[in-house]
Amino acid sequence: MRTQSLPAPPAHNSPVRPGPSLRSGSVTPPAQYSSGWFGRQRRQRLLRADLLTVIAWGSVAAAVALWLADGGVAGVSSVAAAFTAAGIVAGLAGMDLVLLMLLLAARIPYIDRTIGHDRALEFHRKLGKPSLYLLLAHGFLLAVGYGMAEGLDPVSESVSLWQQVPDMWLAFVSMALFIAVVVTSLVAVRRRFPYEFWYVVHLLTYAAVGTSLPHQFSVGGLFAEGTWQRWYWLAICIATGAALVYFRVLQPILATSRHQLTVSRVEVEAPGVINIFMAGRQLDRLAETGGRFFIWRFLAPGLWWHPHPFSLSAEPAVTGPDGEGTLRVTVGNLGAGSAQLVRLRKGTKVAIEGPYGLLSTAARTRKKVVMIGAGIGITPLRALLETTPFAPGDASVLLRGHTEQELYLSSEILDLCRSRGVRLFHLPGPRSRIRSSWLPQEAVRGGYGLTAFVPDVAESDVYVCGPAGWADSVISDVRQAGVPEEQIHHERFDW
Amino acid sequence: MKARGTLAAAVASAGILLAGWQAGTQAGGASTLASGSNTTTAGSTGSSGTGTSGAGSSGSGSSGSSGSSGSSGSSGSSGGSSSSGSSGSSGSASSGTATAGTYQGAAVQTRFGAVQVQITVASGKITDVTALHLTDDDRKSIQISNRAAPLLRTEVLAAQSADVQTISGATVTSNAYLTSLQAAIDAANL
Repeated sequence: MRTQSLPAPPAHNSPVRPGPSLRSGSVTPPAQYSSGWFGRQRRQRLLRADLLTVIAWGSVAAAVALWLADGGVAGVSSVAAAFTAAGIVAGLAGMDLVLLMLLLAARIPYIDRTIGHDRALEFHRKLGKPSLYLLLAHGFLLAVGYGMAEGLDPVSESVSLWQQVPDMWLAFVSMALFIAVVVTSLVAVRRRFPYEFWYVVHLLTYAAVGTSLPHQFSVGGLFAEGTWQRWYWLAICIATGAALVYFRVLQPILATSRHQLTVSRVEVEAPGVINIFMAGRQLDRLAETGGRFFIWRFLAPGLWWHPHPFSLSAEPAVTGPDGEGTLRVTVGNLGAGSAQLVRLRKGTKVAIEGPYGLLSTAARTRKKVVMIGAGIGITPLRALLETTPFAPGDASVLLRGHTEQELYLSSEILDLCRSRGVRLFHLPGPRSRIRSSWLPQEAVRGGYGLTAFVPDVAESDVYVCGPAGWADSVISDVRQAGVPEEQIHHERFDW
Repeated sequence: MKARGTLAAAVASAGILLAGWQAGTQAGGASTLASGSNTTTAGSTGSSGTGTSGAGSSGSGSSGSSGSSGSSGSSGSSGGSSSSGSSGSSGSASSGTATAGTYQGAAVQTRFGAVQVQITVASGKITDVTALHLTDDDRKSIQISNRAAPLLRTEVLAAQSADVQTISGATVTSNAYLTSLQAAIDAANL
């Protein structure tokens, strides 16, 4: 078949026999990775996902229940009271959603291991508008409700709340901040501004939450001193704050000081693509993180403030007795910020946050595995291919690029495929314009689709990594081939 | 599997809401009980005053207030409507001048709680203002009330009317206080 130009002899459907391994150690799966092991891991992960769903919904219900338990319904005796009650409930639910959003963005390992960093952020985004609407409704309904009770219109009621009730002006400030944060995060608005602008505005979330807290505990009667509701609310607020501080501030500092990473070498892999090698300590603790991503900060003038999310393109190589060794990332599509990375000097200190993401063995549910990568998305798959367990013949790798040169790290991947017995397809060429736009035109014209390359795709875990539009096209074909949702593992890198 | 999670979440949420509701109806019962006890205290104030006849005479001030306090108790629970006004009319019916005694104002509802004051009248002058109930829905309101009430009392005693400045930072409480006060003044027919 012309579309798959295999640089090495074995054609597809005749799995590569494990040749002389270029790497030390066995690459066949250890005995513990039986098909039962994958099934157990799958069930446990689904159970954790269900548990998270229950906690999320349960917490919203609990917020409303706080009000119910305070005899909320009995207090609704007039129209004004009904408005007030609806306003209080909206505020409780809205704040609960805000806390959930903070937790989803807190990079908690449990959540990352269960749904992955990108899906956590996806849920985070989905909650943005509903929580803002609830908070707006909270303000509006209470202005109407209080106003009716006192014979004032909502506007003058708001003015009097601002002027006369302690902590209320802070709540108004908080509302303005929340609006700013959500509006700048809308896709249409966000595209118009540089990432840094969005980031700084997003940091205001903490100010928004902070300024909203005083009025929750002082103005509302629900959280008056001595009530158990006050303790519950305090507990969830403090727990959320602690999770943020621990996982987003403390953990990165600990990881950075533990591994003491410094740049050891920068080399050009292909035009516009570089490999950055970093030396560090205790890298044995990062075993099996190949393919997952870290957020890197290169502590050099003009660079240190810029966080780069890059995946490891190889399993950490441990050479010393105390875990001394080397990490490697492969960076492509060099943008304005990352172009300077070519000039990184040897010895530059590196701060890290991570590892994050589910492009790892932790996502496996079946004993067979298929990896489909395009462009720079190939590089994390290269790392995963190195360590994820499978028997010879149970894995397939499809690499896509406009040209053969864009199949980055292809010689390394070829070596790995040879030594581990993996079917490898190189799929270069212009994209198909009729259907399956993720494939080269030639392949589609020739009648080759996903199942022609991987007949057993439905019984495999499918890892997809590449640009968003391309990945969507892959995933729609993967679904059509009958692959259940929990076997599709995809990480988005466009945020 | 997604369905399982959704179902579990729905069941758990329903359970939590139900538990909240259950706790709420019990607490609601308690609060009705509390308001019931309110009514009884109001009733007892009324009964302590007992003699409606006192309204006519200038001497027994306490009994003069009695009728009004009884009715204002009911108004306190109903919220806002000045039933004390009726007692005021009974007061005014007796004579053109104010009768010595205590007069309760209407209970005025605010979003921070009810406010109700009582005035003591002697020889046509307000000699004392007592707050029977002040905004106390939460800690902040209690603080505000505790600060505002003495100031208002001083102002009112000096002005001998409800036509005084509100306390800044406690406008809601002040307005309710002065509204209740005006009702009491009307009742006393000052």
